Amino acid sequence: MIKDITIGQYFPGNSVIHKLDPRGKLVLTFVYIILIFLCRNFAALGVMLLYLLAVVLLSRISLKMLAKSLKPILLIVLITSLLQILYNDDGRVLWEAGRFQLTTGGIFMAIFTAVRIAALVAASSMLTYTTSPTLLTDAIERLFSPLKAVHINVHSIAMMMTIALRFIPTLIDEVDKIMSAQKARGAQLDTGSILQRGKALVPVFIPLFVNSFTRAYDLAFAMECRCYRGGEGRTRLKVMKLRLRDYMAFLITALCIVAIAVSNYYLTAVI
Amino acid sequence: MTENILEFQNVSFRYEGSSEKEQLPLAVRDVSFSVKKGDFVAILGHNGSGKSTLAKLSNSILLPESGKVLVNGMDTADESLSYDIRRTVGVVFQNPDNQIVASVVEEDVAFGPENLGVPPEEIRKRVDNALKAVGMYEYRKHEPHKLSGGQKQRVAIAGMIAMLPECIVLDEPTAMLDPRGRKEVMDTILKLNREMGMTVVFITHFMEEAVRASRVIVMDNAEILMDGTPREVFRQADRVKAAGLDVPKPAELARALQKKGVPMPDDILTASEFTEYFLKRFGESNNATT
Amino acid sequence: MPLLETQNLSYVYSENTPFRMVAIDDVNISIEKGELVGIIGHTGSGKSTLVQHLNGLLEPTSGKVLLNGEDISSSKAAKRAARFRVGLCFQYPEYQLFESTVRKDIAFGPHNMGLSAPEIEQRVNRAAAFVGLRPEHMEKSPFDLSGGEKRRVAIAGVMAMEPEILILDEPTAGLDPRGRDTILQMLLDYRKTTGNTVVIVSHSMDDVAQFADRVIVMNGGKVEFCGSVHEVFCRVEMLERVGLDVPQVTGILMELHKRGLPVRTDIYTVEACAEELARVALQRGNGV
Repeated sequence: MIKDITIGQYFPGNSVIHKLDPRGKLVLTFVYIILIFLCRNFAALGVMLLYLLAVVLLSRISLKMLAKSLKPILLIVLITSLLQILYNDDGRVLWEAGRFQLTTGGIFMAIFTAVRIAALVAASSMLTYTTSPTLLTDAIERLFSPLKAVHINVHSIAMMMTIALRFIPTLIDEVDKIMSAQKARGAQLDTGSILQRGKALVPVFIPLFVNSFTRAYDLAFAMECRCYRGGEGRTRLKVMKLRLRDYMAFLITALCIVAIAVSNYYLTAVI
Repeated sequence: MTENILEFQNVSFRYEGSSEKEQLPLAVRDVSFSVKKGDFVAILGHNGSGKSTLAKLSNSILLPESGKVLVNGMDTADESLSYDIRRTVGVVFQNPDNQIVASVVEEDVAFGPENLGVPPEEIRKRVDNALKAVGMYEYRKHEPHKLSGGQKQRVAIAGMIAMLPECIVLDEPTAMLDPRGRKEVMDTILKLNREMGMTVVFITHFMEEAVRASRVIVMDNAEILMDGTPREVFRQADRVKAAGLDVPKPAELARALQKKGVPMPDDILTASEFTEYFLKRFGESNNATT
Repeated sequence: MPLLETQNLSYVYSENTPFRMVAIDDVNISIEKGELVGIIGHTGSGKSTLVQHLNGLLEPTSGKVLLNGEDISSSKAAKRAARFRVGLCFQYPEYQLFESTVRKDIAFGPHNMGLSAPEIEQRVNRAAAFVGLRPEHMEKSPFDLSGGEKRRVAIAGVMAMEPEILILDEPTAGLDPRGRDTILQMLLDYRKTTGNTVVIVSHSMDDVAQFADRVIVMNGGKVEFCGSVHEVFCRVEMLERVGLDVPQVTGILMELHKRGLPVRTDIYTVEACAEELARVALQRGNGV
């Protein structure tokens, strides 16, 4: 069911991870993703996984929820791993069939890649799970505010993101309702060839678009009524200030960087 | 400054047609009325009677074709005043889903004060007070899309009152709600008016909501048809019905009795007024016999 | 044999997740041919979930829906047939209108049934007549219509499938009194002309009180009560318990009765109430 989509979902909470400065969290997530790609062996990757596990435990987000975020990328992970197994012929040969070889190197690479992609998605999910969309866009707005110098309207982009995130659940709900209404008139949305299915979606998309335009009009009026005039002179409910916990997070991440550098340097690389 | 917070002077307005040549009929024709500070005015009318256009005219979202709209003496046609006008008159619309901007209740309520440039500590206070006033304080961390219709609409109202307007205009805020949601919203608005002294203009097609206002303006065919206290308006049941509206059931019952030759007063509005009168007039002999 | 029947129907949302919610629980209802039935309950009572089972939009977690004694999910063909034999029209027309003209939009259902062009044409015209759409409406875009007109087009779109049972979810929500009366009168005429079964789902007793043969009261996913309008209105404490409005005139009579006036309290229309009170008043008035 489309209602199960968890992209951009936020789980309100009071944990230390929730309370971290969103700017810091955003930067650290980027650093984390880069670090994942700098890992050259399982020891380094292990450090990064421990880091992630610590974050998950601290945030009190259930591992089940996190596993759910990985479900949509399962296929990608499987395919990439399979390719690694098929085309990597490093290490000891375990099994052979014609041109294809199953090697230890291939298996290691497959696991390594799978863990990498999973960690990457899990880390970004943790960011959205523990940071309200408004705070996240706020953080983006603040981090990128220097771009104003080159005439990029960072505030408007951030506002658009806020609104988009706000309306995703509403629109998903609406798609469900439209589909029910059209199915009740005999529309067949889940059978037939791809072409037929594509055509069958017209009765779903037209009401969705028309309603979205109405919503956009209404929302624009409502925002004007609430004295919205763009980013100039706006203040914020939540002041962003780096606190001790943010500096701790930076320090821990810095330690991870050192650990990865050391293990990459001293241990043999898998990749 | 005048005593009137909102003043419509011979206001006419029409929407633009889809083509240049096509001219739509007037949505509002020569409408004049004024709203005193602290008043609770209901604007009652059927769909398409022009009542909702009045909401958008009241804070310069729409500008009159002729005539004037004054907010605290400020002309809405003066563009340089639109910011001050909108912080004086807050408008809440019909569909709560389409006025909520943020994904967390308290962040949405903060949107207005943020636009006004209020300092953060002050925003915090206003948001908390506004949420308490509409009874949604426990939900401040919730996601709006998981709330019921009535709750969402109360969040939208909180978003308005956090801007500390002097007057709040509600454009059919209950039309999309179930009976429970309607009651929640109606009780909230009454509380704002009675306890916080907020001036309220309440646009609706539900007669039972209009009855609770201190003054009712009935719109029909782009014009004001009637203007008076609920009692004065609903006493003229036939005119109200002709405008496509309902009359309170107790009033209707009183009229039906009159037609059957039972003497009843013309201005009964509520069930308790009806029972009290009926018992006083016809209950006596009951006491005598028992 | 009833035309439509549910047997121990239950539906659970998000089974096996923390958000698990029982929407309807062991529901047994039956609807006879030609009846006008009201299903009432407040939001979350399960009434909307229930009706989405009746045309097979939702698959029951347990239990069955029988149409003419036959399980509607017994085969693919039966499932598809149920869509057309039980017409379901949702609350907001905005969720279904999509075609460039009203005529084409009403034809969407019949078209999906695979009918011939002349047959579709006939059905569209019949349905349009039922809801009072005039020829000049038919070539307009449905998006240019007023709220009340849109709703009539949406209802016609379901009527045009000529279902044996027509179910309408909140057909009057958001309409003003005139719009509400028009729709209800229209449904009454439709039933009279076609003899088809009509089911009106509503949170307001006012909608169904005047016409329904029978009322099913839903609460907390269960059938709370089922009976004639009269029987339902006489159970004031039940109505209050499930959060439904007691008709105002009944409330007045109950209050008068409580305060010692010998009046009947099983009355719910203004006219009947006036008659009853006039009887008492004239009797008493003469006595003074």
